[in-house]
Amino acid sequence: MNTATTTVNGHAGHHDGGHHPTGILRWLTTTNHKDIGTMYLSFALIMFFVGGIMILAVRAELFSPGLQLMQPEFFNQLIGVHALVMIFAALMPAATGFANWQIPLMIGAPDMALPRLNNWGFWLLPPAAILLTMPFVLALFGIGDGAIATGWTFYAPLSVQGGIGVDFAIFAVHILGISSILGSINIIVTIFNMRAPGMTMMKLPLFCWGWLITAFLLIATIPVLAGAVTMLLTDRHFGTHFFNAAGGGDPILFQHLFWFFGHPEVYILLLPVWGLMPHVLATFSRKPTYGYRGQVYGFIAIGILSVIVWAHHFFTAGMPVPALLYFMYSTMAISLPLAVLFFCWIATMWRGSMSFETPMLFAVGFIVLFGIAGLTGLVLADVAADAQYHHSYFVVAHFHYALFAGGIMGVMTGVYYWLPKWTGRMYSETLGKWHFWLTVLSFNLTFMPQFFLGLAGMPRRIPDYALQFAEFNAISTVGSFILGLSQLLFAWNIIQCARGRGAPAESRAWEGAEGLEWELSSPPPHHSWEVQPQVK
Amino acid sequence: MKRLAAPALALGALQPAAAFADYQWNFPKPVTPIARDTLNIHNEFMLVITVLFVVVFAIMIYSMVKHRKSVGHEPAKFSGPTGKLQWFWVLVPFGMLLFIDFVLMGIPAFHAVIEMEDTKTRADMVIKVTGLQWKWQYEYPDDGIKFMSNMTTPPEQIANQGAKGEHYLLEVDNPLVLPVGKKVRVLLTATDVIHTWWVPQFGVKRDAIPGFIRETWVKIEEPGTYRGQCAELCGKGHGFMPVVVKALPEAEYAAWRDAKKTELAQAAAGAERAWSKDELMAQGKEVYAKQCAVCHQPEGQGLPPAFPALAGSKIVTGPLLSKDGKLLPDSHVDRVLNGKPGTAMQAFKGTLNDVELAAVITYERNALGNAKGDMIQPAQIKLLR
Amino acid sequence: MVDQFTDDELARRRAAGRRLAWALGAAVLALYVIGFFIQR
Repeated sequence: MNTATTTVNGHAGHHDGGHHPTGILRWLTTTNHKDIGTMYLSFALIMFFVGGIMILAVRAELFSPGLQLMQPEFFNQLIGVHALVMIFAALMPAATGFANWQIPLMIGAPDMALPRLNNWGFWLLPPAAILLTMPFVLALFGIGDGAIATGWTFYAPLSVQGGIGVDFAIFAVHILGISSILGSINIIVTIFNMRAPGMTMMKLPLFCWGWLITAFLLIATIPVLAGAVTMLLTDRHFGTHFFNAAGGGDPILFQHLFWFFGHPEVYILLLPVWGLMPHVLATFSRKPTYGYRGQVYGFIAIGILSVIVWAHHFFTAGMPVPALLYFMYSTMAISLPLAVLFFCWIATMWRGSMSFETPMLFAVGFIVLFGIAGLTGLVLADVAADAQYHHSYFVVAHFHYALFAGGIMGVMTGVYYWLPKWTGRMYSETLGKWHFWLTVLSFNLTFMPQFFLGLAGMPRRIPDYALQFAEFNAISTVGSFILGLSQLLFAWNIIQCARGRGAPAESRAWEGAEGLEWELSSPPPHHSWEVQPQVK
Repeated sequence: MKRLAAPALALGALQPAAAFADYQWNFPKPVTPIARDTLNIHNEFMLVITVLFVVVFAIMIYSMVKHRKSVGHEPAKFSGPTGKLQWFWVLVPFGMLLFIDFVLMGIPAFHAVIEMEDTKTRADMVIKVTGLQWKWQYEYPDDGIKFMSNMTTPPEQIANQGAKGEHYLLEVDNPLVLPVGKKVRVLLTATDVIHTWWVPQFGVKRDAIPGFIRETWVKIEEPGTYRGQCAELCGKGHGFMPVVVKALPEAEYAAWRDAKKTELAQAAAGAERAWSKDELMAQGKEVYAKQCAVCHQPEGQGLPPAFPALAGSKIVTGPLLSKDGKLLPDSHVDRVLNGKPGTAMQAFKGTLNDVELAAVITYERNALGNAKGDMIQPAQIKLLR
Repeated sequence: MVDQFTDDELARRRAAGRRLAWALGAAVLALYVIGFFIQR
């Protein structure tokens, strides 16, 4: 990519003095993309710890056979809410926070196209998070029987049978869905209409491309999820029988609807990360991104494939042989565009002049561990072998390699990469490196044993297990606690930067960084591009 | 952080050394043709992806070592393939991946899928498996045999109040008994929520879906006891509904089948005679412990609001039957026989025989803090079905 | 190539953006509602 600017914004943020509310009102009413981005990212970080504490309680219970800390009902609530919190309240808001901060900076726009919508998009999140977790609190006061206990997948008829936690989760998912839709609409509109003069679609930074595909996937699939959970709500309370065989319905219909959303959701979580990866790799390899067009086409191909492979999530539910074969081969086909991305990432590093600051470490860690997720995903696509892997800890390990190593470590890459731009301060490189190595080692300590647990036959979502699974579970629990505690370093590093500690960051915080965002001061002025840059 | 890890690791090392022998890195030993195929496919795939992983990341690590700023490597300027030779080397990995996906992995997968889904060709017998919260029911339609299979691990072991047995959580009262060397077609369904029937050594995992029949098949090659578990989250007892299959040589299987038939016929005959209250109470206590205590709790106190208390319950202490001996809607008998739709309370008339139903109803009305004083006879239940 | 967007051009782009946003919103709502009427 050969973006370069002719104008550099020299105005520091002098424009905002005086006529903006301060304190809490500032944050409630802000329409500034950076404020909203900050709120999204802070919310995501808080919910990351909330979801993390839940799963540490689960891992503690699974440390040894027998029930020590909790009853199965509570265990089932924790695993489901952990997943919902991590997916909808941590990873998705983090990605939206990136989009809010970076897209206007990267395309040379003064702000997002629809700033008030943007404010709404964020402020829907906290009520949704409260709805999701409130049943835990209500249960303490003797109201209801706790949060949703069906796992994050809401499978009917278990969810029809469940308590008020299911209703709370249904409403929370609706609100989170509306928030994502609003965010997506804003991002699409911003990218289509607000690019600086000269920035054609094929000069658009890859991060924006990744998010553009994500936004379209969200718009296409969230309504289906909303429809599915609405049907669930009417089945529960208004006498419909969408998912009840006795009334002419079909429980598997729910799985089709859910995974029509659920599979693209994986790419919704990952595409923003795949988008930011080339920026980080190019920066620290001091070399242009390899295969820009290939990556753009790869994103588009994955976006399209992602909506036609959903049924591989329930091969064991039984379906006609042609359907099994179709979903198997179409799933395998995803490996091809994904291989394009891997190829481009490694080719970007090839013959560069690499240095390994924290973002680069996380990027490399991401590529290797996400590689394991991709390769195990390939074998999971095989219907025959899937009969053994499915519903077992093998799958749990696989999707944590995809969503922790792929999603969350990708987000961490972005945070370390852009933190100097956002806060104007350099984070502590020493702490960052400690954070990286502890995260990578303890992540593998946690999840590698789970592959073997799955192969040996341990089903997922069980609160207690047979004796032959004891050792691997104990190792996994030890790993998970180190992993959880290491994240405090991450939070501390961010907080220190936000408090203005650490060395001041230059406009171009990294030696090899290219792109419009590095032309602005660190932190950027209140209105990002008052004078629009030109892209040659 | 390191200091925190040390005691945790030490704790891990305290695990019982006996179980260490069961350490397992791959699928358990296969005993059906499907399981053998699956293991072979799995091994082949693991080899393929390990090679891919090693090759790809060896290239990356080579680059990370050689092309560093700290060793003074000057960055190249290229941003894509140029010239025919480079395009060739770019396309080679994709050609290889296409080959791996659709030939190396795709062809064996195709054959395995066809074999796995062929439940009907030359099937020797049929069994029906029904998943219920939280137990399995096995039925041999050809022989009229039907029984429930409950986990037998005592609650004290789960609560860590006693030493755990060898087959902790993987032991049942009535295992599914199958003959060796016969192709058995397995029909699966459920009564309440979705369950999944899984025996790892059979390489078979299939969902049991309420209102629908799914099928799979097994052909066990050697006698033995094979253990698995429900694999789909099905509520609070999900971790406690094991699948145990006992595979017997043909002659032994035939003997077992005949004995079971006689046993069931005797139990059914009991429905004809009049039972004393003490007999019913004694049998009812057993049935309650097996069928009801998981939800309604051993003392009948329940786990409200999902699982109501039976002690002092309005339904349990309500009238037994109408004056002319008919079923009263939403009465105690109605609940036990027909369940309550949309809740975990299932219809027990399909799973318990007349004696067991009469016994458990009588028991619930006269124990668990209730003292109605009335009773119901198996013969009455028979009429109400 | 224009040096910079004029105020008119910016206003036009914002209006186009609002129209696109409403169209996308309508598409989402349509997808949601129509789904309930699809029969197997």
